[in-house]
Amino acid sequence: MKPAAFTYHAPETAAEAAGLLADLGDEAKAIAGGQSLVPMLALRLAVFDHLVDLRRVGGLRGVERRNGDVWIGAGTTQTEVQRSALVAEAVPLLSRATPLIGHFQIRNRGTIGGSIAHADAAAEYPAVALALDARLEALSPRGSRTIPATEFFTGLWSTALEPDELLTGISFPVRGARSGFAVEEFARRSGDFAIAGAAVAVELDADGRVLRCGIGLFGLGSTPRRASAAEAAATGGGADSLSAEEIGRDAIAELDSVPSDLHASADYRRHLGAVMVARAWQRAVKEASDA
Amino acid sequence: MSAEEAPARRYAGTRVPRVEDARLLTGRGTYVDDVVRPGMLHACFVRSPLARARIEGVDASEALALEGVHAVFTAEDLNPTAREQWYTLIGKDVPDTPRPPLAEDEVRFVGDPVALVIADDRYIAEDAAELVVVEYEPLPPVVDYATGRESGDLVHEGFPNNIACELAGLPVEDLPVFDEAAFTARETIYQQAYAAVPIETRGLVAEWSPSTGEMTIWAATQSPHEVRLFCARLLGLDEHRVRVVMRDTGGGFGQKVLPLREEICVMLASVKVPGPLKWIEDRRENLLAAGQARHEHADARIAFDADGMILATAIDYVQDVGAYPTPAPMNTCAVVGILFPGPYRIPQGTFATTGVFSNTVGRTAYRGPWQFESVAREVLLDIAAREMGRDPAELRRKNLLRRDEFPCTNHSGMPYSDVTPLETFEQALEMLDYDAFRREQERARAEGRYLGVGTSTYIEPTTDSLSLHATEGATIRIEPSGKVNVYVSGGSSGNSIETTVVQLTADALGVDIEDVNTIQGDTAVTPFGGGTGGSRSGSMNAGAVEATASILRERIAAIAADRLGVSAEDVETVGGHARVRGKPETGLPLSEIASIAYFQPESLPPGVPPGLEASGRYRAQSPVIWANATHLCTCEVDLTTGAVKLLRYIVSEDCGPMINPTVVEGQIAGGVVQGIGGALYEHLAYDEDGNPVSTTFMDYLLPTSTEVPVIEYGHIETPGPGPGGYKGVGEGGAIGAPPAVVNAVADALAPLGVKITRLPLTPESLVTLVREAKARQEAAG
Amino acid sequence: MPDIEIRVTVNGRPRRATVPPRLTLADYLRETCGLTGTHLGCEHGVCGSCTVLLDGEAVRACLMFAVQADGAEVTTVEGMAAADGALSPVQCAFRDHHGLQCGFCTPGLVVSATAFLRDNPDPTDEQIRDGLSGNLCRCTGYQGILKAVRAAADGTGAAEETA
Repeated sequence: MKPAAFTYHAPETAAEAAGLLADLGDEAKAIAGGQSLVPMLALRLAVFDHLVDLRRVGGLRGVERRNGDVWIGAGTTQTEVQRSALVAEAVPLLSRATPLIGHFQIRNRGTIGGSIAHADAAAEYPAVALALDARLEALSPRGSRTIPATEFFTGLWSTALEPDELLTGISFPVRGARSGFAVEEFARRSGDFAIAGAAVAVELDADGRVLRCGIGLFGLGSTPRRASAAEAAATGGGADSLSAEEIGRDAIAELDSVPSDLHASADYRRHLGAVMVARAWQRAVKEASDA
Repeated sequence: MSAEEAPARRYAGTRVPRVEDARLLTGRGTYVDDVVRPGMLHACFVRSPLARARIEGVDASEALALEGVHAVFTAEDLNPTAREQWYTLIGKDVPDTPRPPLAEDEVRFVGDPVALVIADDRYIAEDAAELVVVEYEPLPPVVDYATGRESGDLVHEGFPNNIACELAGLPVEDLPVFDEAAFTARETIYQQAYAAVPIETRGLVAEWSPSTGEMTIWAATQSPHEVRLFCARLLGLDEHRVRVVMRDTGGGFGQKVLPLREEICVMLASVKVPGPLKWIEDRRENLLAAGQARHEHADARIAFDADGMILATAIDYVQDVGAYPTPAPMNTCAVVGILFPGPYRIPQGTFATTGVFSNTVGRTAYRGPWQFESVAREVLLDIAAREMGRDPAELRRKNLLRRDEFPCTNHSGMPYSDVTPLETFEQALEMLDYDAFRREQERARAEGRYLGVGTSTYIEPTTDSLSLHATEGATIRIEPSGKVNVYVSGGSSGNSIETTVVQLTADALGVDIEDVNTIQGDTAVTPFGGGTGGSRSGSMNAGAVEATASILRERIAAIAADRLGVSAEDVETVGGHARVRGKPETGLPLSEIASIAYFQPESLPPGVPPGLEASGRYRAQSPVIWANATHLCTCEVDLTTGAVKLLRYIVSEDCGPMINPTVVEGQIAGGVVQGIGGALYEHLAYDEDGNPVSTTFMDYLLPTSTEVPVIEYGHIETPGPGPGGYKGVGEGGAIGAPPAVVNAVADALAPLGVKITRLPLTPESLVTLVREAKARQEAAG
Repeated sequence: MPDIEIRVTVNGRPRRATVPPRLTLADYLRETCGLTGTHLGCEHGVCGSCTVLLDGEAVRACLMFAVQADGAEVTTVEGMAAADGALSPVQCAFRDHHGLQCGFCTPGLVVSATAFLRDNPDPTDEQIRDGLSGNLCRCTGYQGILKAVRAAADGTGAAEETA
């Protein structure tokens, strides 16, 4: 189980990396932590003539406040995210989702940008990005742009990133004081990709009505999904005007391409998905109400 | 007491630290992949992507053109060069099932090896394997063994109806008891395919020296002498020209007892290539081609009288043997039928067993290969208890055999002895406090929580005495310094056999354990032996060490007696000295006796041979040694998700006197967790076209540290036949765990009307069972 | 696909090598450095047998290329014991509590447990289970391993076993 041969590039700037990706086109792949990519290379499920390693690229790591948001460099490892006091305080949903990713040895290498750009439908971070309305910064030789998370995940393992675009950072809006967050997932074993999971962010107004909410779903489609209809139904009403079970059912009702595999049929995934949404919703609302 | 009798035990029975650990903890073990030879080449197999197809042609030209590629072998090149291909353990004349080294005319499962690429390194070998073009004409596969007998297609010509083997006792129709009994439980119980999955995959390095005609093999094996004998016959070499070395094997669990097809291919290829040849299986290959186990079902019946006493059992058992089973499946098929009555008092019954070929990977040995007898019986007993409205523990208590009822013979004619089924059962229940658990369960149910308890009790055959397993030898050399080297076939594969042999030898010679070293796993220097398999290592090596040590004790006593002017009967070996019994201040250190024996042979008493080195061989005292245990498990089931959390896990085991309780418990724990894996997580699954769908560790789910409960042990030590009364303990954990877990889950869900007859218990399967039971109850009104 | 020169410090010893880009860190350690204590159990990042410390953090050596370790410090299981051979506290605890049988998964577990305890010096039993869940073992049923890591965390010495 050895990877096929490739040419290795280790550029030192994001512009240089984007330039390489632009020049090499489909034959190149950016590698950050490599925790999803290297297994695919080892199994020869993916073969690239060129790997563009981002490890030496400056400016891709770190957690800081920018314009009221929390900005996280794409190359920041999941462990660094987990250890960040700023993330814990200002983007608790991200902090709570991180320990659910693989195992600590994986998180020591895996990066937030890699996880989001890989766009695995069963992964935690893409769902968190959706639930929080994160903004994704991309750089190419044509310049940089910001992509809303809701427009980022376009299909099975595919994103709005152009082949010559590099994900450089993710901005997470900081929610108001009366907010609550929860992530719930069900996996066969600890550390496995979830069969179904939900990341929920809820913000209440002074009267206890749902000011806004985000429900990110994972494991429940060919892409990370946002339960827009369920969010719309919940927004504006009292926090308890819809039961958690109803929100769960609404969230699942929107889904059209729930996967089926050895570990779970589509039916069972839908069932679990509704349960995970309900459990996460309940906890998030409680936290917001108690705030 | 004479000098030839063993001194008092000092180490056996105690938790001495393992001698293997220092090297294994520091990365200084030597596994087969650690072996590097000058000029070594690397092998990689080209494997079938189809479950069944005719091979129309193999074009290796592009692969051969790749730099660093030395050869691409096909069946044409290798298969005709195989001289004899049979296993010592099984015997030459036992009917066998097909086992071509490489696939010839037809591929018969996804993963079937079609060609063998030889290259400078494994990276290049894999590049080249991708370039070998095999043209296939797809054929309809026989994917499901359960319907294989009715399939119009054949896995192998010459095996009509895909039947690999059949054996049957009386037709069940001839036993009216099943119709006449007050109650007969009858279910079809099914177990999914799962496998040994050692963390070290298979592998070997074969180094052929054409100038000397010598073959040296480094192997991941449980039985170096089997590999040597097999290779000698395969290549037509004399045994003494073949040397097999295994220093460390990274787990075997049955999979590494016999050389399988890939290892055969590498042996055949090694004499055709210009350097030593290494093949290390990768994980995908291991899950694709190293064999399946456990895939089987049975129509099982137990008849009871009105008091709940068992009147009869019957089992009609069907096993998936895959395409290329190794060994031929007759043996385990038969044993499942014969042992089905288990540890219960059962006057009559019958069995039928069938092995059915399929276009899936061949069945290979896995820790308690006959384990389904316990799965079927114990699961059916719980179902029967519920249907009769009896507590499963109370039902078992009525029927389990007690220590004082042995020896006795089951209704299949199997004679059991030296076992304690009821005693282990009572011990396990007491460790739990069964009645307290039932009360806790009641309270939990009132709160809407579902707790359950399950048990399983079995008697297992250990230490068989068939063929290669009939004897075991040891050589002991007391060095001139008085330090001791003990040589046995052995070899570390996780069973702590180095520690065991050192403990036994220290006791047998009355020396300090620090003064004993062991050398194992190299056929050039160790005595002939059967290796690790069939839970035999402890008992057989104990016999071998004692047979050899007694020779040396006699010699030591004679020399010491002569020097001290006493009679040899009055000399004992203790603390590294030969002393006059009852006079601890007297005596000669072993170094002095060794000095006489080696360097002053003229001073030896008449008739005493020189040197302090001896070899002895032990012959098994009985056809098998029986061991037994009861497993008990409690769990909580989350009805919403189907998740099972195991709460307590108790094993009460009788493996005779324990040589090292820590090692015994380690063996039990490892087996139990493999059994838990089989009950809840592991599934070597195929889709309906015969494509395997769990060939990575992302999909083949081994239990991790977060899935396992704390395991609690109870020990009952009833001696068996043979020196020390030691019995086997390697396999039992994997036998008893699946039914105990199934029964615990079934017990938790019993109030909902759920009946479990199929493994594995995935969360989804449990949610579905609960939903179906609810629907049934609603329909029933 | 040119080979690339790298400099890596392995167990305190600076090394220089020219490697093909596709050579995994695990194969570099095993084959180029001859440090065969780092084992390959799956080569796709699940079993944990190849776990090493990269600049102090536990990582899967099979999920990295050697070129990506250029400039880094790597510690393998061979670097865990003292120079005089004295076992580390984690290694001692594994020995004292039967935390290994065949030994194949052991190097990865020793490295993982060492990093885990450094970051979690006072772990709960639950945290220990979670911390070890990225290392598969097929022999021990994890019983001895869990006991060993508990003991190493508590700083207790040899096992106080009860029969």
